[in-house]
Amino acid sequence: MSSDVILVIVVATALAFDFTNGFHDTANVVATSISTGAARPSVAIGFASILNFVGAFISISVAATVAKDVVDAEVITPTIVFAGLIGAISWNLITWYFGLPSSSSHALIGGVVGSAVAAAGFDAVLAEGLVGKVLIPAVVAPILAFLVAGTAIGLSYRVIGRQRPGIVSRGYRYGQIVSGGLLALAHGTNDAQKTMGVITLALIANGTLGAEADPPFWVIASSATAIALGTYSGGWRIIKTTGTRIIKMDPAQGFSAQGAGAAVILASTHFGFPLSTTHVINGGVMGSGAAKRLSAVRWGVAGNIFVAWLLTLPAAALIGGATYGFTRIFGSGALGPVLVTLMALSLVAAAFTRRAQRGAPVEAAGA
Amino acid sequence: MIATIVHTDELLQTVAASVITGVGVTFLFSLGIWGAGQFSELSRDKRPVAATAAATVGVLGLLCVAGAVVTGIVVMTQK
Repeated sequence: MSSDVILVIVVATALAFDFTNGFHDTANVVATSISTGAARPSVAIGFASILNFVGAFISISVAATVAKDVVDAEVITPTIVFAGLIGAISWNLITWYFGLPSSSSHALIGGVVGSAVAAAGFDAVLAEGLVGKVLIPAVVAPILAFLVAGTAIGLSYRVIGRQRPGIVSRGYRYGQIVSGGLLALAHGTNDAQKTMGVITLALIANGTLGAEADPPFWVIASSATAIALGTYSGGWRIIKTTGTRIIKMDPAQGFSAQGAGAAVILASTHFGFPLSTTHVINGGVMGSGAAKRLSAVRWGVAGNIFVAWLLTLPAAALIGGATYGFTRIFGSGALGPVLVTLMALSLVAAAFTRRAQRGAPVEAAGA
Repeated sequence: MIATIVHTDELLQTVAASVITGVGVTFLFSLGIWGAGQFSELSRDKRPVAATAAATVGVLGLLCVAGAVVTGIVVMTQK
């Protein structure tokens, strides 16, 4: 009975995490299309939400990586997964509060690894999967997006160099409907699958699913719905603040940045690499900016992303481990997770209230 | 050992697929825009053969973009 209560808490927490993931990332997915005038904000956000939802259904490779290749499912319990989620959410909240860019995806994996280590030692971590499928792609993907976008826009400028600006801008704006759609699809498939993977891991740990099981349909559908609703809700907040986080670029740059981001995320998703989609999209935007003018790149943002890379995994792991330790004080039943949930909800409410009193943060956490 | 941990094959395929599709699709789309621009300019200059050739290149570029997008999605759904 108590394990079922914990499982329900884990599923609800994971879906809440998924919702916030979509909420935070709306700006990254639609900013380029809105900035270049390729789509009205309401259209871009509605389109992105629908394609986020659809994207969640097109692959389960990343979900399999999160569920089976990062930690040893044999030693995982629903409480470990719960503590990992709390580690991720807490780190996202801390970075959001202080306006630091961070990756929800890295936080999620860090949190689960930390709580698994606290519960079962370092043997619980599958180092090969963690390094080969998470850490190395995390470093490679944004650099790859930067180079692909830079090369693509360089080639494009050579091809269209002597054309009249009107037809070029109009053409790339139409193209951005496709590239923006692909980016939203890519975001939906990679990010929603992380939640699917975590829920599947909890279901395996609870004995509800076999060790090699894939995510059930209800897990895929609920994760797809949560991220799509998050994107839609986040979008309306973005409309109110349009201009504050939008990067100025021409439609050709927008097209190449979105195309590079979508290509890198979709290719990585195919091979089951869970990425920070925010870092990849930022890599694409910076690459298309750098190809035109090196000073157009916000190198400060790049530096912050680098620091976030270094900090997020260990910080979320520490919080995840500490959360697991705290829940164990109350035994192996549901009391620990219930108390932690109540405390977490109180902290979230306090942070939002205080943040609202002090004004909006500079940057939100991303996935 | 290192190659096993790094998943070299999958990583290289990811890099290759990203470069080919990311750069290739943008280049082909640019050809589409170039074709449209040249078609309109050459038509104004009353050069129908050259205009048709430019339009053909443009249309082929856009068709290749559409093909690449559809192929990409089909590949994604088949794993």
